[in-house]
Amino acid sequence: MRFKGHALAGAMALTVFGALPALAVTEVKIWHMEQPPHRVQRVQELIDAFNAANPDIKVSQEPQSWGEVYAKVPASIAAGNQPDILFAIPDFTTVIRKVDKLESVADFVKELDAKHHFIPATVEPYSYDGGVWAVPLYNMSLNYWYHKKAFTAAGIEAPKTWSEWKAAAEKLSKDGVFGVGLPANKQLYTDQTTYAVMVNNGASELFNADGTLRFDNPKTVESYAFYKDLYKYSSPDAANWTWGEAEACFASENCASILQFTVISTYDQQGGGDPAELGIAAVPHADDQKESATIAYSNAAIILAKDAAKRDAAKKFIAYLLEPETYGKFLTMEPGLFLPVTEDGAKSASFWSDPLVVKYKPQVEQMIANSANGKLFGFTDGRVFPAIGPISAQNILAETLQKVVVNGEDAAAAVKAGQAAMEAATK
Amino acid sequence: MKRGVPGTLVLVLSLAVLAALVLLPMWLVGSSSFKLPREIISRFPTFFPHSFTLQHYQKLLGTSAFPTYFLNSTLVAASSAFVTVLLATLAGYAFFRLEFRGRDFLYRLIMVAYAFPSIVILIPIYLMFAKVGLIDTDLALVIVNVTFALPFSIWMMRTFFASLPRELEEAAAIDGASRLATALYILVPLLRPGIAAIAIFAFVSSWTEYLFASVLIISDAKRTLPVGLSGIIGQYQIDWGLLLAGASLSILPVVVFFALVGRWFVAGLTEGAVK
Repeated sequence: MRFKGHALAGAMALTVFGALPALAVTEVKIWHMEQPPHRVQRVQELIDAFNAANPDIKVSQEPQSWGEVYAKVPASIAAGNQPDILFAIPDFTTVIRKVDKLESVADFVKELDAKHHFIPATVEPYSYDGGVWAVPLYNMSLNYWYHKKAFTAAGIEAPKTWSEWKAAAEKLSKDGVFGVGLPANKQLYTDQTTYAVMVNNGASELFNADGTLRFDNPKTVESYAFYKDLYKYSSPDAANWTWGEAEACFASENCASILQFTVISTYDQQGGGDPAELGIAAVPHADDQKESATIAYSNAAIILAKDAAKRDAAKKFIAYLLEPETYGKFLTMEPGLFLPVTEDGAKSASFWSDPLVVKYKPQVEQMIANSANGKLFGFTDGRVFPAIGPISAQNILAETLQKVVVNGEDAAAAVKAGQAAMEAATK
Repeated sequence: MKRGVPGTLVLVLSLAVLAALVLLPMWLVGSSSFKLPREIISRFPTFFPHSFTLQHYQKLLGTSAFPTYFLNSTLVAASSAFVTVLLATLAGYAFFRLEFRGRDFLYRLIMVAYAFPSIVILIPIYLMFAKVGLIDTDLALVIVNVTFALPFSIWMMRTFFASLPRELEEAAAIDGASRLATALYILVPLLRPGIAAIAIFAFVSSWTEYLFASVLIISDAKRTLPVGLSGIIGQYQIDWGLLLAGASLSILPVVVFFALVGRWFVAGLTEGAVK
């Protein structure tokens, strides 16, 4: 009888305690594309702190590569093993919306906005079709980086207009140094630099208001022709460049200037490392334009989880990331590359106290200032054209540039062919 | 036939050019992995390092998941090579020694599988593997690697089987050896060059396979070297020292494996070519 009582009590205890973990913990899986080890480590530190403070939630990360994620996410959604939170950029979000029925996060973004005040330009690329499809997390914008020493030696200032830009590139190109580092690869980096030139000539709109293409216009043709003029002063191997090669060219002082999101950590670790010699300016604008603009990417988090508990847990984690105390640590997983998307984040001590940010504070401040006039192809002036997805995926801006710069085709003919390629891609 | 001085000179020069083409990039990668970051990206590249540091290796092995990727790749490549050799040898024996109905048709059908570009079947394979719970497993990669290596391996085996006289098997049969004993004690030892060639082919194919490994594997702990290394390098910013150290260490197993079975591999290639 005594044994029977013990056995019964044991069985009850096993039932209760055995069932507890299954009832209590909500697992949230994150896919992001910040693969370098130091970024993974920083994200893990934040996850660990969050998990410790929220024992009912277990967040885990699975870093992915941008190279494969366009194929991998749709496949994982089809197979039902997708992540709960997915980091994305605007055009990728349009791809995801085609393969998955996303739930709008408009209310959640509104709630976060009331607390942290999003920079409107970072939310706009995700706001269309009556909803908001992702929560902005960090911003990136392209800047004009230059070696002050080289400019001083040549007796010139950082260029503000295209004619100054061309003159500076010409003057700086001597003794094996390239006046400017511009890519011509059929790749995203070239899409970005090409668009950065276009937006500075009033050619930021790829679409008319009715959604038809307007890529083929005189301003775009002028922009491509100007890029070709500048490219003469770039490195001969620039037709194969991605971001890394451009940075190496700059850090080794082989290139006097480049267009890049940031060069800070490479310059600091592999280049000169003297903050006083590192120049940054806005991308120069055409002579008839009033001010400079640039290309800016608002990176965001899509909540793919369908289960209510998982969605709540995912929101809790995203909200945690945007808290000023943690947000700076999150942004400085790559110091000087990721910029804040919220007003309180831009002031947070956790961001400005990072050693590299402290060292290159004027440059980071200038990056933030430049990003204020950031645009992204297909997501301009509060309008969003989801057809931009295939145009971006096929790098048609860069392909058109290659025709002009590498094949020597006439800019007008290449742009016309580019528009035809865009029409075919979006059919 | 005796080779004259000009002939020898041309031969030596050709070999030197060929060796330089193969070895120079390896030297530049290997030696640069010991240079300081500033020297790696220097405007004037140095052929011999002017600086020496182990910082890239320390960072690679200490702060990244490189050792895990390395171990995963070794496991997947070794398993893929083993299974490919086993199946190719058995299939080779069946196709080139046994008589059965539909043999030629089946052989051609297997060869057709080799003609499919892998990207075409990437998504269907992902969905099939997801259904049976193979996503994010090493087994998934072994299955894919073997599937792609097997047709070519069977085709290679054909040459090696053709070089073995049937009289050897008949003699073994007269002496009372079973089919299994004949295969194990007579054929396999004679097929060693062919087996080595297939093993190296399957190992190297698996070691360098990127596409399927990047899609079928999700978690960092299961990643293989090509995918893991591309992630370590980064997108917007490249740590060149880390990249060079990773590339240098990545080729080591292939070199070691080739050193172990390379003699048979070369013998296999020449035998297959001559007979």
